[in-house]
Amino acid sequence: MGKVIVITSGKGGVGKTTTTANLGAGLAASGQKVCLVDTDIGLRNLDVVLGLENRIVYDLLDVVEGKCRLRQALIKDKNFGENLVLLPAAQTREKDAVNPEQMSELMERLRRDYDFVLLDSPAGIEHGFKNAIAGADQAIVVTTPEISAVRDADRIIGLLEAAELYDPQLIINRVRPDMVRKGDMMDINDIDDILAISILGVVPDDQDIIVSTNRGETVVTDKKSRPGQAFRNIVRRLLGEEVPFMDLQQRKVMHWFKRILSGEAQ
Amino acid sequence: MNTELCRIKGTREGLVITISEADQFSEVLSSLDRQLQASQSFFRGSSAKIYLEKGTVTDSQMDDIERLIGEYGMRLNREPLTRPMPRPQAEPAEQESPEVREDNTLLVRRTIRSGQRLHYDGNVVVMGDVNAGAEVICTGDILVLGALRGVAHAGAEGKIDATVFAFRLEPTQLRIAHVISRAPDEKLPQPSGPEIARVVENSIQLSVYNH
Repeated sequence: MGKVIVITSGKGGVGKTTTTANLGAGLAASGQKVCLVDTDIGLRNLDVVLGLENRIVYDLLDVVEGKCRLRQALIKDKNFGENLVLLPAAQTREKDAVNPEQMSELMERLRRDYDFVLLDSPAGIEHGFKNAIAGADQAIVVTTPEISAVRDADRIIGLLEAAELYDPQLIINRVRPDMVRKGDMMDINDIDDILAISILGVVPDDQDIIVSTNRGETVVTDKKSRPGQAFRNIVRRLLGEEVPFMDLQQRKVMHWFKRILSGEAQ
Repeated sequence: MNTELCRIKGTREGLVITISEADQFSEVLSSLDRQLQASQSFFRGSSAKIYLEKGTVTDSQMDDIERLIGEYGMRLNREPLTRPMPRPQAEPAEQESPEVREDNTLLVRRTIRSGQRLHYDGNVVVMGDVNAGAEVICTGDILVLGALRGVAHAGAEGKIDATVFAFRLEPTQLRIAHVISRAPDEKLPQPSGPEIARVVENSIQLSVYNH
């Protein structure tokens, strides 16, 4: 039975979709069978980030409504084939066309066939968010070092706890070490202090991301990319069954981040 | 003083409006109206259940209550209480001497996060942080064994000697009884140790806590 992980943030534009795509590709590159699910009905874009938009025939709603078989709706990735599939969201429907019970049932089916099911959650805390977390047994909260994003992450963590999704893990995205060094950006300690949840990874800001996103590719497989390296590290932590090492791992993240700060890491 | 036909109390089930004599319904309504007016926006956003000590109310009277509390931004929860109100007889005595309530303390063993709101009739101890965007409102003292970054309202029903204590007292806004103060706009150096806030000459004063 695979793990179902929801990737969420509250605030839009912090990099949920990019994170989902990169973790999915990274896990697939490590030999895992991965299914990505875009739950942002009406505003889908995981397919675009993966460069799979032109392959969509059926979507999540068609599966839920029984208009097609699950396998028909799953789109194989260009690079990883069977090991990385996407279940796209419906673009022409409303968010309330699907309910949390249907999502839970769908996740139960997917987790039988895949090692990891990653759910890309929509921004916001309403219906779409509730659908996205319904079938998940683990949550990753993505934030950026901005006070508004951190505030929304805090709100989301509270809502996840209320929904009995405990111990979410944090990815801090788009960190600019040069700005942190000058004191112009919240540093990791500030964020850790406020949110007080375990940090799964810190991803530096880099133009690679924009370039690769626009090409419909992921940076995680680019050996020279710094955010790619950060995503590869996160993938390893996900595979390393982090629970027993949580404390140690956090330190490892900090250490790694400090190395970036001091310019040691490539 | 204790002639009100209804009382609003924060309990573990949320707010409960206790009606002591439902047969005098119009007086109950005006009493409720008076109390809600006095509390200003204290109860805004919360939902309340109804508990009848004596008498019955009809559905249309329930609608009247719903409409009235709706004007104060409250919702009516028509579900019955899951258990009877704790010690209903003890309440009149309680109102006469506030000291009786001193033992009425809620212990919260988690961090209160943005968007979460805690109401309590009594003191509140938070074993965690109160983050920015969160609110703690109670009629007694507030102790935060962590960082207080959100809004805290102690002594919300007028207890002017209520205090707010936190290991790191960095609130967005502090309220004690009717006195409100907010964080300064410019960043000031923070003392690293615990601080306590209390009302001194009608304004809220923060001081380093030494016992």
